[in-house]
Amino acid sequence: MSQVNWRTINVDALDPDSALNFDMSTLTPAVTPVSASEVQGLAGQIRQLLRGGDHEGALRGALESVPYGADEKGKEIHLHTVIEILQSIRQSEMSPLLSRIYQSEGGSELLDVLMKYLYKGMSHTTPTGGAKQMAPQATGFSQIHPLRTGDGGGQAMSVFLSWHEKLVEIAGPGSIVRVMCDRRTV
Amino acid sequence: MAQPEIHHLFHRPIADHSFSSDRQTLAVARDNLIEIYGKSGQKFALQDELRGHDKTVTGVDIAPNSGRIVTCSQDRNAYVWEPSSSGWKPTLVLLRINRAATCVRWCPSESKFAVGSGARVIAVCYFEEENDWWVSKHLKKPIRSTITSVAWHPNSVLLAAGSTDGHARVFSSFIKGVDERPAPSVWGERLPFNTVCGEYLNSTAGWVHGCEFSPSGDALAFVSHDSSITVVYPTGPDMEPKAVLSVATQLLPFMGLIWTSENEIIAAGYDCAAYRLRGDEQGWQLAGSVESAGRPGMDSHREESALNMFKQMDLKGKVQDDTKLKTVHQNTITTIRSYAGSPERVRQFSTSGVDGRVVIWSV
Repeated sequence: MSQVNWRTINVDALDPDSALNFDMSTLTPAVTPVSASEVQGLAGQIRQLLRGGDHEGALRGALESVPYGADEKGKEIHLHTVIEILQSIRQSEMSPLLSRIYQSEGGSELLDVLMKYLYKGMSHTTPTGGAKQMAPQATGFSQIHPLRTGDGGGQAMSVFLSWHEKLVEIAGPGSIVRVMCDRRTV
Repeated sequence: MAQPEIHHLFHRPIADHSFSSDRQTLAVARDNLIEIYGKSGQKFALQDELRGHDKTVTGVDIAPNSGRIVTCSQDRNAYVWEPSSSGWKPTLVLLRINRAATCVRWCPSESKFAVGSGARVIAVCYFEEENDWWVSKHLKKPIRSTITSVAWHPNSVLLAAGSTDGHARVFSSFIKGVDERPAPSVWGERLPFNTVCGEYLNSTAGWVHGCEFSPSGDALAFVSHDSSITVVYPTGPDMEPKAVLSVATQLLPFMGLIWTSENEIIAAGYDCAAYRLRGDEQGWQLAGSVESAGRPGMDSHREESALNMFKQMDLKGKVQDDTKLKTVHQNTITTIRSYAGSPERVRQFSTSGVDGRVVIWSV
């Protein structure tokens, strides 16, 4: 017994009331699991809409069917779908489109989802260059990395920033706060 | 619309404030002590200091009828202060918690008070005659994290608590020998101690900052860090609530709220202003700021004479002093309380915040 280093014992693990022994999943809102192939199928449908020129429909569709319950791969696929839509919409169309979504039923929720994707997109340095590793933090979203110049990241970042500006104008700082404290991550 | 009554007490954060029932005495929590202010004319003057806590005081509440003050602090203690001929006499309360106490409120009957804590328990404290001592019983299950706020139902048995685990819960704090059996309500009929009468989570599961029962006690509203306010209308015990209405605002998060009537809520927080919400079981909407309703003199500091403008430019190298907010409070509002009127129709309310101001507003 004398060899035991008492300081390294995790006393919390021995306490039945300790936070370590909680089932943390009960603290988060329930999400339905989605497989990566389903997300892939959805991406195909949305691309179809996009090709047909229905940008608003595509964005709406992508934000309404956000795969909270998907694994990392599925979430990655959906992120790329959303980024593709965002990049295909012209700057002058952003504000009218956002305010139309905001005024519709459940629109504020959709814009919160969009805000999540903007932050997630910004945390990727090269969003169009496939899945690069990112640094997820305990909060569920990643810090903005400094831009690596010379790749497509700079251009994508400027798209995110202009969307972000327009989005805050319409949905307010409340939307940013919701991204930070929402336990359902994209 | 009457002008708000502004009392700038000091340049330190006010963790909590409470008025006596005659509104002549004001107690504020300032750092490690509680300052008692007395009204003299239009102002509040410092009268007394309650010393005893050795860490930041987090909650203070004056019982309206008995005049007793209860305080709690990060030093894990709570005191009940009773007025006596030689000043305020403190009595230590046995909280039995191993983390900071975060909030405290007297129940309407004043026979009990509830202390929320970081130890994932709520200590419901009552006076034990035999031992001449304030003792506590713990509400434990199913709290998973720090309690940020407690609020009492008008029947003094039901207690609402908001927590950083994202849940707003309604508990029974029935203590035999202290409480009378409550009348059956939408929250339940038989209510032994630690009955969980309701457990609510909003869509984002953001941590809850404040919660409050409606004047009738048949609805519960809570504000959380996702800038939303959620109103719950329960149907009955073990049934799904009639309506859970969530309003996601464009604003920064709210810290606290009060019901001014069954159909109106006032909430305030990080936006440094109080906002009005109106609604019923069908739905709730944000109805604007309490402040913006034409406060005269609000623009006066912006319309400056040419002389003044050049003087400012010369002095500071800029035209306007943009370090001042346009709101009355210059920092986050942390506490909001009813000031005048009945619970069913609050006419005035008071707010205090990080800027050291206590402001009395007309609804």
